[in-house]
Amino acid sequence: MGVLPKKVQAETGLNNEGFEQLFDAYCDELRHYIFYKSSDLEIAEDIVQDAFLKIWEMRSSVRPETARALLYTIATNLFANKYKRQKLKFKFQQTIVEERTFETPEFEMEVKEFDQKLQKVLADLNEKCRTVFLMSRLDQMTYNEIAKNLNISVKGVEKRMKKALDFVHQKIEQKF
Amino acid sequence: METGKNTHMNQSNFSKADFDSLLASEKVELFVQGYRVPEMQTKAVTLEMIRRKMDQKSNIKPTRNLRVYWSAAASIVLIALLTTVYFYLSPNQNQILAGKGQHIDFTLPDGSEIKVNADSKVSYSVSGFTEKRVLEIAGEVFFSVQKGKPFVVKTHLGTVEVLGTTLNVFARGKEFNVSCLTGKVKVTVGEQSVTILPGEKVEWVGGALKKSNIDISEKEAGWIRGEFSFDNIPLISIFDEIERQFNVRIAAKGIENRFYTGTFTNTNLTEVLEMVCSPMNLDYEIKNGNKISIKPKKN
Repeated sequence: MGVLPKKVQAETGLNNEGFEQLFDAYCDELRHYIFYKSSDLEIAEDIVQDAFLKIWEMRSSVRPETARALLYTIATNLFANKYKRQKLKFKFQQTIVEERTFETPEFEMEVKEFDQKLQKVLADLNEKCRTVFLMSRLDQMTYNEIAKNLNISVKGVEKRMKKALDFVHQKIEQKF
Repeated sequence: METGKNTHMNQSNFSKADFDSLLASEKVELFVQGYRVPEMQTKAVTLEMIRRKMDQKSNIKPTRNLRVYWSAAASIVLIALLTTVYFYLSPNQNQILAGKGQHIDFTLPDGSEIKVNADSKVSYSVSGFTEKRVLEIAGEVFFSVQKGKPFVVKTHLGTVEVLGTTLNVFARGKEFNVSCLTGKVKVTVGEQSVTILPGEKVEWVGGALKKSNIDISEKEAGWIRGEFSFDNIPLISIFDEIERQFNVRIAAKGIENRFYTGTFTNTNLTEVLEMVCSPMNLDYEIKNGNKISIKPKKN
């Protein structure tokens, strides 16, 4: 929570300035989080807006040091209440494909096929495992941070990570 | 095997041999770390949308009967007080937001007065405003500018430069028009600029700035008195204006390519709907007080 200045941390309640700092610090990761769950940018965007709106409405009782985890809780609930499970289809931007030149068009195809397969495997992965895995790899959060944000134990994070890796490795090794 | 392994693969060029030498788990790491979540819009836009939702949810009552406000001084003071709720004090940036169904009267630090129409926004930097009078607006705002240093109004479509005057600026979507009531106004869009004098207006039409005369008392800034005049305007724009003035949602069918000429005041929603719908042969229905559906009349 190094992002928030001491003054804001000290007291309960969120003023406008504190709100903006919170937004600036956690808007992206929260959007990513819902994207990992839903694979849908619009849903992620909606949930982020509603989560920040909600935290603003309850600002008088928000403690800045727990605000981040609270945002995750709000977003998780909003998502669970609003959206029934649907078929996922990820469209991550793949910087590897974007930045490289390939020896042959055949090889480029092979790499892109691998990329598509991986995105599909991620979509098939259990939601909780996928979320933890992507928070770790894409947002580069530590297990400790993830545990705090999702209000689970570090052991729980480790378990989900292992499950995620096992599943992905196993599926990716299967032939097309 | 060993030499070919390179989990980082930093080269901008990577060969099939390199790729094939990776273990499945290494490929996964490499690719997953290459992923970025696509962005639908910038953070600033998201924040702006949250602000708008806050605004709509805030408990300030929509001012349906605006005439009363314009006539009673006490009420205007009240609006000015409530307006402070809408100030977002980011580092010396002041913002005035008029929600749907709301008009706001405000005096700027230099003494210039503005009237902010429904669903419109004004922002300016507090520090040094009197030195450098620059504002950004979205929506529709009426200005009564104090004489002094140049007064600049920026919109997403173009810039308006003012030298002590009263004027109305309208900038929504692709529509941008400015009317000058007194003084002198310079309007700039990209490379083009036009200077207008009292009684003149300039409109952004088909990629060009077009100058014409206005009927000052009746038309352009009638909204500050709660009057709305339309001269052969697409029906869809009329309903947009009604949505803004009364903070309602309108779903209209069968209004494509139809135009409306007429005047209404924003005192009474049913009266307005009646005035617009009956000459256009449309039926309206109000549900839950704020949802309106409009359909062509069945013959």
